[in-house]
Amino acid sequence: MAAAGHDRASRPKGTAVSSAAPRALTRENLATLEALGEALLPGSARDGIARYVDYQLSVPLQESLLMIRYLGVRPPFTEFYRTGLVSLEAAANRQFGRRFDVLSRGESQALVTQMAGGTLTAWSGPPSALFYFVLRNDAIDVVYGTQAGFQRLAVPYMAHIVPSTPWGEGG
Amino acid sequence: MTAALPSLPVEVIVVGSGAAGSAVAARLAEGGKQVLILEAGPWRASADLVSSALYARRLKWSGPPVIEEGENPVGYVFNSGYGVGGSAMHHYAVWPRMHEEDFEMRTRYGRGLDWPLKYSDLAPYYDQVQEEAGIAGDAQREIWRPPGATYPMAPVPVFAQGEVIARGFEKLDKRVAPLPLAVTTTPYRGRPVCLWDGWCDAGCPIGALANPMTVHLPRAKAAGAVLVANAAATKIITNQAGTRATGVVVVSNEGGQRTLRAALVVLAAFAVENPRLLLASANVAHPHGLGNAAGFVGHYIMAHAAGLVYGLFDEETKPYMGAFGGQLLNQDAYRKTTHERTGAFGSYQWMIAQAVKPNDLLGISTTRADLFGQQLHDFMGRANRGFAGMTAVVEDLPVGENSVTLATERDRNGVPLARVAHTRHAASQALWRTSLEEGKAVFAAAGAREVWTGTEGSMHIMGGTIIGTSRNNSVANSFGQLHEIPNLVIAGPGLFPTSGGVNPTFTVHAMAARSADYLLANWNAIVA
Repeated sequence: MAAAGHDRASRPKGTAVSSAAPRALTRENLATLEALGEALLPGSARDGIARYVDYQLSVPLQESLLMIRYLGVRPPFTEFYRTGLVSLEAAANRQFGRRFDVLSRGESQALVTQMAGGTLTAWSGPPSALFYFVLRNDAIDVVYGTQAGFQRLAVPYMAHIVPSTPWGEGG
Repeated sequence: MTAALPSLPVEVIVVGSGAAGSAVAARLAEGGKQVLILEAGPWRASADLVSSALYARRLKWSGPPVIEEGENPVGYVFNSGYGVGGSAMHHYAVWPRMHEEDFEMRTRYGRGLDWPLKYSDLAPYYDQVQEEAGIAGDAQREIWRPPGATYPMAPVPVFAQGEVIARGFEKLDKRVAPLPLAVTTTPYRGRPVCLWDGWCDAGCPIGALANPMTVHLPRAKAAGAVLVANAAATKIITNQAGTRATGVVVVSNEGGQRTLRAALVVLAAFAVENPRLLLASANVAHPHGLGNAAGFVGHYIMAHAAGLVYGLFDEETKPYMGAFGGQLLNQDAYRKTTHERTGAFGSYQWMIAQAVKPNDLLGISTTRADLFGQQLHDFMGRANRGFAGMTAVVEDLPVGENSVTLATERDRNGVPLARVAHTRHAASQALWRTSLEEGKAVFAAAGAREVWTGTEGSMHIMGGTIIGTSRNNSVANSFGQLHEIPNLVIAGPGLFPTSGGVNPTFTVHAMAARSADYLLANWNAIVA
């Protein structure tokens, strides 16, 4: 599981993914993913949602930590994410004439609400409510599913075996 | 213990290293048989059982895709496992017994199916297994429990979440008892005591929870059994007449494709892969799949409906404390006909006050999937102080059309993929709705300031290779032997003709123990 040429520690915390070479998605996908993550759960960009998803999509299914594994979607999952993110950009462009990552908070919330309710018009990705559920859980995983996240909630972690890294990357 | 595939014939090949496979393998090896266990997934050591809901996902199924259909999918990937120890590596070790009436549904109520054995046939094996694996509980307070020996360990502790919910049951004159858990409350046969940290579903690496890695695989190894991981059975072969299994075709990481010979073959690859293999092993003598002359292979697939009830309380509930399976039990709704007026039929039980983490499918955050943004943060902050939850295990009546069939698409070894169709019986669906109403009333009585319920989901997969009295009503006999091929034996919950309203693993173990005893006692006749 060594991540060749990928030195996490050398990047300052909070840096956007755009500085690292994507593994499975495109840079544009990752920018949308970070912005969507922030709309779903503020702080998820800081906690690495884009790098998390991109990394997990690049490893064999057996090693993947993505929750989509058990949500009835047939692997591999890259296409699910890619078409969903592209669809979201198309929806942002259609409704507001701008990229999703430059929308105001109110605008992005309006789009997420439509996505969750399955009411986005001309959505061409996976079912939008499922896409919302999957991405929302990814955001929760990186913000609250790690030791740091438990600490933030004052939940004792009580590990038997401590994760060597929060989500397998570089572990 | 893991090894290369043997070059010589063995006496027994067990396909699958989960609860059923490891239990049968240990007993047959201890009975002097030379046993080879094949595990399709990877080798796994206790160091791999990382305390993290993210890492826990590696324990789930990642073999050939299973195509799910119907109104109520069985949730195959979530509910099954891959790798040494199988699904039982992430099971919660809630081990109640099935009730006497679960075995006689057709006779007593004219609904569902009868088992070809009675509770009294299994009772001594329940007693034996609970000594071996260790169950913590209080048999006296479990007033619904059928006759049997008392538990070998004192009950699990009740934490704040359990106390809060118990208050609701008591106010409504309902009873609670400690949840019977195959988890240590005292040092047990060299195993340490549980720390009540709630990481059960990430796989218990300390040996407190009775999973295959802790209980039966070490016994199998000590008795000389060999376990080969990354070795997928792709076909069961028989003699020309189709009356005896003669071996298994295996594709392994190291050895490519091989045919291994054995005197007895045990299929313990869970409720979907077992029928998939039987169907995919069709030959001239069994053109519709092994043991499938009357067409029962794959049918009567069942999965309990999960009745999920949640609440927020003013008190601190410390919802992260305890076992993932829960702290308390209520089986007041076990009588099958209790809710017949509303169209519901069957049994359910409550697993009360389950340890819960912030994230994952059963995590606190998912209970309010409608919330996002700052509202979600706010909810998480509130919920981690006063959250409580419980789950109804709702009986799923057997329906013939719910089945495993073969798809036209094949996996990389050339085996057709499994297609699993499951739509719940209307009476079971009604019972699930009833459980939610009862659960909400309990939480209201307990003083919850917010109460809500979860969406419908499936847990525990059963049926597909059901047992019965003949080939005209079932696939196998009460010992799991195929009616048509007596030295081909099924083990696991796929044998269940009815699901009851309890978790299946304890019954899987009791049946595996009974079957192994029978196979050893009648060895010569069975393998002749």
